[in-house]
Amino acid sequence: MMNRLKNLPTLRVNTSEKVSVTYRGKQYEGFKGDTVASLLYANGIRIFGRSLKYHRPRGLYSLDGECSNTCMQIDDIPNERAENIPARDGMNIREQNVKGSAEKDMMGFIDKLDWAMPAGFYYHTMHRPAKMWPVAMKQIRKAAGLGTLNQNFNRHERFDEIFPKTEVCVIGGGPAGMAAALEAADKGVRVILLESRPWLGGFYEYRTSVDESGNFLYSKARTLAEKVEAHPDIRVFKHTFMVGAYNNNLITAFQRGGETESFHERYIEIRAQSVVVATGCIERPLIFENNERPGVMQAGCAHRLCRTYGILPGKAAVFSIGHDTGLEAAVDLFDMGLKIACIADLREDGQDPELLEKVKGRKIPYYPGRVATEALGKKRVTGVKVGTIDGTVEETYTCDLVVASAGFTPVTGPITINQGKLKFDEHTGFFLPSVLPDKTHVAGRINGLGNPASIEASGKLAGLRAAAECGKDLTGEIDEAQGELNDLPGPQRGSKFVTGPVSGRKSYICFDEDTTIKNIKQAIRKGFDVPELIKRYTSAGTGPGQGGIPGHNLPLFTAKFKAEENEKIRPTNQRPPLVPLFLSTYAGTNHDMAKRTPMHDRQKKDGGIFRRLGVWRRARYFSNDFSCRKEIENVRNNVGILDGSTLGKFRIHGPDALKALQRVYISNMEKVKQGRVKYTAMCNDDGCVIDDGVITKLAENDYFFTTSTGRAGSTVEWIRYHTRFDGWDFNLVNLTDALGVINLSGPNSRKVIEKVTDQDISDQALPFSGVKEYTISDDIPVTVMRLGFVGELSYELHVPSSYMESAWDLLLEAGKEFHIKNFGVEAQNVLRMEKGHVILGQESEQRTNLTDINMGFLWYRKKKEAKTVGNVALEQTVNDTGRLKLVGIKMKDPSRAPGDGCVIVDDTRVRGYVCTIRKSFSVEGVIGMALVEQPLAKNGTTVFVYEDECKGNLSEAQVVPMPFYDPEGKRMKA
Amino acid sequence: MALTITCPVCGKRDGYEFRYGGEDKGPRPDEEGLTPENWCDYVHMNDCVAGIQKEWWYHRDGCGVWFSTHRDTTTNLEISDSEVK
Ligand SMILES: [Zn+2]
Repeated sequence: MMNRLKNLPTLRVNTSEKVSVTYRGKQYEGFKGDTVASLLYANGIRIFGRSLKYHRPRGLYSLDGECSNTCMQIDDIPNERAENIPARDGMNIREQNVKGSAEKDMMGFIDKLDWAMPAGFYYHTMHRPAKMWPVAMKQIRKAAGLGTLNQNFNRHERFDEIFPKTEVCVIGGGPAGMAAALEAADKGVRVILLESRPWLGGFYEYRTSVDESGNFLYSKARTLAEKVEAHPDIRVFKHTFMVGAYNNNLITAFQRGGETESFHERYIEIRAQSVVVATGCIERPLIFENNERPGVMQAGCAHRLCRTYGILPGKAAVFSIGHDTGLEAAVDLFDMGLKIACIADLREDGQDPELLEKVKGRKIPYYPGRVATEALGKKRVTGVKVGTIDGTVEETYTCDLVVASAGFTPVTGPITINQGKLKFDEHTGFFLPSVLPDKTHVAGRINGLGNPASIEASGKLAGLRAAAECGKDLTGEIDEAQGELNDLPGPQRGSKFVTGPVSGRKSYICFDEDTTIKNIKQAIRKGFDVPELIKRYTSAGTGPGQGGIPGHNLPLFTAKFKAEENEKIRPTNQRPPLVPLFLSTYAGTNHDMAKRTPMHDRQKKDGGIFRRLGVWRRARYFSNDFSCRKEIENVRNNVGILDGSTLGKFRIHGPDALKALQRVYISNMEKVKQGRVKYTAMCNDDGCVIDDGVITKLAENDYFFTTSTGRAGSTVEWIRYHTRFDGWDFNLVNLTDALGVINLSGPNSRKVIEKVTDQDISDQALPFSGVKEYTISDDIPVTVMRLGFVGELSYELHVPSSYMESAWDLLLEAGKEFHIKNFGVEAQNVLRMEKGHVILGQESEQRTNLTDINMGFLWYRKKKEAKTVGNVALEQTVNDTGRLKLVGIKMKDPSRAPGDGCVIVDDTRVRGYVCTIRKSFSVEGVIGMALVEQPLAKNGTTVFVYEDECKGNLSEAQVVPMPFYDPEGKRMKA
Repeated sequence: MALTITCPVCGKRDGYEFRYGGEDKGPRPDEEGLTPENWCDYVHMNDCVAGIQKEWWYHRDGCGVWFSTHRDTTTNLEISDSEVK
């Protein structure tokens, strides 16, 4: 490891704690706080990867991940930006897009073939003859790309999501953002502050220059940060990247988890009332020949490498800069031990005189009006040519570091993605917001401000304005803050300078896509004269950096090259996500949320095998024999117990309850009586059946009804929707979770109940279709309904959820001598199928109406005034012959059942499908139900079932009458 | 979801809490004299205006009320009754 600068007050690495990573199979050490990029750089690694198209060597350039230069494969994840990823012990790092190594890439020769690949070459070369393109494309794909996917890769990290609400959301934790957050929070509103770096401080954080009062900027940043983090009304999210902004100030972001956090990344969706954008600036690249050669970097990058990470970025440097911050970096780095061959400043005038004094005092050669024109060196910088802007003078310097920066680019993405508009400003050279999104304010350097006092004052003002929009009356204070800001230095002068006198063949405007100045010229000559079109034709700015490198230079260069009068300088658009993130982060927590019935644990203990059913997990089997033969036979011969708690259970009461029931149920609900249950169904406006269940009357204007498991969640909504214009007076209570349901079925079921209650449960006291209140064991109130879904003597016990386990245990105990056993949902499925009872969704699909499944007997047509949902459509389709009808079928081959869902075909087409089919243990053969075209629905018709992988061998079946089991219903009415 | 909806009972809430109930097409027509065509129109046909539309919403994860409100379909912003001409 090279010597690291220690004991700097600005350091963010802990030089007493080591971190060790593997890069290309070798161990490298760094410090806690290092990013992967800073760790590798400190170990002398300069080439981080190869470029997409030309396989040019690429290295550290910015430090915030604005280009793909430092995209690496980290722990099998491609395209991780080494600059943004904190180094952790044991990380396995590889370079991308190389054949061999980044240092010695066998594809490097492609760089010399650039003449063969002009802008948009893949749009118009290798297309003739047409069959050439697929071959060529394969080769191009092989040569170009960003990382490789490990096919066996499995994500093991945890992802999370949160949806906080706040009054003010501040984007950017630099001086302006922190000032805004503090000001707003002090006015009594809640603030959320987002910062992309792992610490607050922004533009101040690494700088040792002083403000007017003589405070170091870095220490000022820390004082502010302490205040912000201690403020009870400010919630700070660090290492958090804002990615989207939408209507009503919905801000989306994602946060990288630290080592102690429970998540790897988490999605954050913030609902704010007002927003402060204080995202500051990134540097605008200076473009010259080989301007992306490893060893060329931005001023902030060089400065921060030293101040934040303790790494002197090189031995001897040449600076080619266009702003005072570049001069400041040169002076500071010189003091830290960097040799500086010269500073070329593309400005002729306007420099900070104090800084010029400092440069002069250190005897650093300084040339205003000069600019770098070409970096020398094959794989890394060995020198640089610097010349006058008019090209008359050119000198060559030997160096291993070129610090290059033309100006600044305000980070306006958060504004433009939320429909804000930008306008070019001649003074700053920036695209400044001309139309801001609703309740959005900007503060700090994004406005072109450079003076620390101005930056903070603008933050304060924005904070006040944002708080005012949350309902605080701050008119006086806003005026005062505005006056304060007006008295301070305004936006700094910037330039439109992009590139000196260069040929442009190796001058890169976009690193991600290997787009050169020459490519831009080619595009303009071809007629693509607007930046947005040039971007598409040359793909400049479409890479992982999302325009961070070319976004500002492209419009500036276009305008300059076209050199037309009154040429409007137009920006390109940005779109969310502003920073790439994992789809897993958007997906959030990988946690399967399901409801459990009160009997969940008990059934689990009894060997229940659970399956997801709607929002529930239910016991589907009680053995590994998925035919459920034992469970089925026990219900047919003895008695079975099933947990039916997922059934929807509702009470409706009020003077207009009956009217509401008449509206949604297809039967005549006036016939619903006390002490009796009525089976009925709900249809939708197409007459298609959506739900079935039973209903009973509890008292005058008071009813209790059940729905299928799947409909329980939307029943209240459904009934209220279809009565929304009527103003009826009724109340609906969802009792689904308040009541559990125990189903006791089998010839012995009555005997079991007799043992736990003193009340009469004989056939006379509770006949088939009866309902009655019982008390179990003198204590537990139970509503008992006598139903027959599975075709045996059967009782449905509705028990308060809190009593469910007790009631269940009492019944099991009482049932011991009668061979009571659990049965699951699959056994019930077979039992009811044998009886010809339907399960909606299984024996029906979206187009199936009431009469299609032979339930027309439920339909009461003489209640037109009720405007029953489904009635009109049913009347209109009742004579329709082109519908699928439900029939019973029996397979010719009695040995095995085809799968549910198999289609029924003839020689030409599909004629229907199998709904449920099983090998029956109660009756002979393989039987089931199917929906078939009406002409096939007649008993005795032979139909053919097509199974997957049947290789054309259709299985024969016959349409037969239903029910298959106990057609007279003697058993369930016993 | 960027949308917010103002429930008459609970106030302005996130769009996530609501279910869309379609355009406001008025009460169910009388069944007498309905043809398949005009019934189908009532059930399935929508105006799909580009602009302000009156529509139904259900406060599913809240108070459970159905109500109608106005929304500008071009901006996906709710429009207060006073702004609707
Ligand atoms: Zn509500």
